[in-house]
Amino acid sequence: MTAATEARPVTRASHPLRKTRLLRRLTPYLLALPLLGFIAAFTYVPIASSLNLSFREWDFLSPTKPWVGLDNYRLLLDSREFWNAMKVTAIFAVISVPIRLALALLIATRLMSETWVSRLMRGALFLPSVTSTVAIAVVFSWVFSTDYGMMNAILGWFGLGKVYWMQDPQIALWVLIFVNSWKQLGYDIIIYLAGLQAIPTELYDAASVDGGRKFHVFRRVTVPLVMPTTYFLLVISVIEAFQVFTIVDVMTKGGPAGATDMIVNMLYRVGFTLFDIGQGSALAVILFILLIALAVFKSRVLGRKVHYES
Amino acid sequence: MQFGLQKGNDMIAQLQKVAGAAFVVLLGSTTLGSAQTVEFWHSFGGESGEALNQIIANFEEANPGITIEAQEVGNYNDIVAKLQAAIPANRAPDAVIMEVTRYGLFADRGVLIDLAPYFDADPLKDELYDFAREVGVFEGKTYIVPFNSSTPVLYYNKAIFDRAGIPEDAPLKTYDDLLAVSQQITEELGDEGITGIAAPGQFARWGLIMDNDSDLIDSTSGEILIDAENTIEAYEFMASLVHEHKVASPDGVTRENDGRDAFLAGKVGMMINSTGNYGRSTAALGDDLVVMPMPCNKVCAVPIGGAGIGILSTSEKEVQDAAYKFVSFAASPESNAIWFSATGYMPINKATPQQPIAADALEGKPGIDVAINQLDFARGRPRPPVVTWMRASEYDMWQAMALGQRDVREVLTEFADKTRAEAERLEK
Repeated sequence: MTAATEARPVTRASHPLRKTRLLRRLTPYLLALPLLGFIAAFTYVPIASSLNLSFREWDFLSPTKPWVGLDNYRLLLDSREFWNAMKVTAIFAVISVPIRLALALLIATRLMSETWVSRLMRGALFLPSVTSTVAIAVVFSWVFSTDYGMMNAILGWFGLGKVYWMQDPQIALWVLIFVNSWKQLGYDIIIYLAGLQAIPTELYDAASVDGGRKFHVFRRVTVPLVMPTTYFLLVISVIEAFQVFTIVDVMTKGGPAGATDMIVNMLYRVGFTLFDIGQGSALAVILFILLIALAVFKSRVLGRKVHYES
Repeated sequence: MQFGLQKGNDMIAQLQKVAGAAFVVLLGSTTLGSAQTVEFWHSFGGESGEALNQIIANFEEANPGITIEAQEVGNYNDIVAKLQAAIPANRAPDAVIMEVTRYGLFADRGVLIDLAPYFDADPLKDELYDFAREVGVFEGKTYIVPFNSSTPVLYYNKAIFDRAGIPEDAPLKTYDDLLAVSQQITEELGDEGITGIAAPGQFARWGLIMDNDSDLIDSTSGEILIDAENTIEAYEFMASLVHEHKVASPDGVTRENDGRDAFLAGKVGMMINSTGNYGRSTAALGDDLVVMPMPCNKVCAVPIGGAGIGILSTSEKEVQDAAYKFVSFAASPESNAIWFSATGYMPINKATPQQPIAADALEGKPGIDVAINQLDFARGRPRPPVVTWMRASEYDMWQAMALGQRDVREVLTEFADKTRAEAERLEK
């Protein structure tokens, strides 16, 4: 160490210990920076861009994007198509999510044992979740084809008439609910299995000693204690239901006559086939707000009742 | 339209070739300095895709400095949607196949370049048939050069007709004729899952509307005719095939290709579809395939369909030059003959029929000339910007009518009003 450095006064900012502390504080942020940059570029910037476009009129091609204020929102809220899409999406979510969760819980309780049959069934039920949605939709389009499909062929063996699975507005939505539930059920089951395995076995033993019947044990022990998992699945499933697109696009394209026209399908149609990116963006913003509102609602109303721990 | 051998024009043809070669050399002098890659989006798979690949290979062999990077990006609707998204992202291709009624919006917005500087100096301009040259013109400028041109034709399965007891010379001229034959097939063979006719797809619907002496939009005045009496009558007939008479499967209403696929699988007696389906239809049905002209319910009229290749304004000048060389090559008699004989799309070049491969097809492939013979009463279709919107929206209207969910007149009146409003918005 030279005399010159020895003579330099050690200020608060340049103190080596202080520098180390600062670096230690900054390290987590620096490590998170690349990921935050990625999220900002691919999530927050597009959200801000969509918000901006929702107040403009644009067809992707014009050099100008004139400001139209709330016109896009007003036109959407005045349109029959928008309210139809909202209704169809809500029906889809309200029907498909509870059915899926109830079925998944029931099946998961039956697959808790570590037998080879259970393991095989878990794998088999999970397969649709990792299968391409487009492939599933194409296959089911043929299964439910009116004149050439397997379902009507089976009905025909029993002397029953043709069902217009994808042409009857009263039925088409149910077909989509069935196909979507079939695809997602395996995922729900696996998550429920993880939740069920976390329930202490002592509780079942105690219930058994108290003479609890299977149904009562299920209702009083299993269902309450698996509630955090149910809550998680509920949040994920409702968001997924509101964002469903691929199955609709491949199987019905929102038809017949709007009977399966869900919000994201309408968003794609308005933005990418009818050249109105302003209205499409407005629809995306409405969907975003709706999902946030639903998440907050679920958190406030259900969230408190989920956990048993203090 | 005459497709004779025109032997007397040999000298002119030779001169045109020399002029063409000079033009290509001139164009080449600006592009051969460096290798160019032209990204080209198209919509052809299967046999059509193979024929296109052969044309591209021939082009690259003749033009060593240019590579055509061809990508099949889906059907005409998909191309419109993907191009629309690719442009603001600066990911647009250099050349693109665009359906003949749907490029107007892109031309109007300056996405496609005016090809006049190339086209006017290219002998190809005089080689093309009038109908083919016309499809590329929007507001007096040429934006696409035709590649695949078509008209709808009536295909039927002879084996199904025989089994249903329908004579080969049964009239198929009017709506009533179509209905009567469809009913007989469905009655006789319905137990085997065979239906009379495929639900008409959008191109066929447009053809049947023209046969009823109407249109969706008047190609000269631009007047919207969606709610004209004859258009309503045509839609009422088409919708009745599905929901009233049940001679067409509703599967083909919600998924238009299902009707065609069922015909190819021998499950449908008749199909009205583009002549571009000739190749796959003969491959599927062989000698059982019969091709007939479109019906003439009130008048004989067919729409001209298909697509042409346009060049994007966002590409570098050198790449545009290279792209035009390919566009011109693809419409040459040699390339067009390969395309025509493989797919059934009509010749667009007057010299195509003299090419050996095309002459063989005309001689040995029965029915491949039906579309060509219809050109006497073929009509170009309008292509103002609103057509893209109208065609995208029409599917939902058709579903509502064909499945019997809404009254035809009510649907078309509402649809016409919306189309007028949209046209007004787009013109602003």
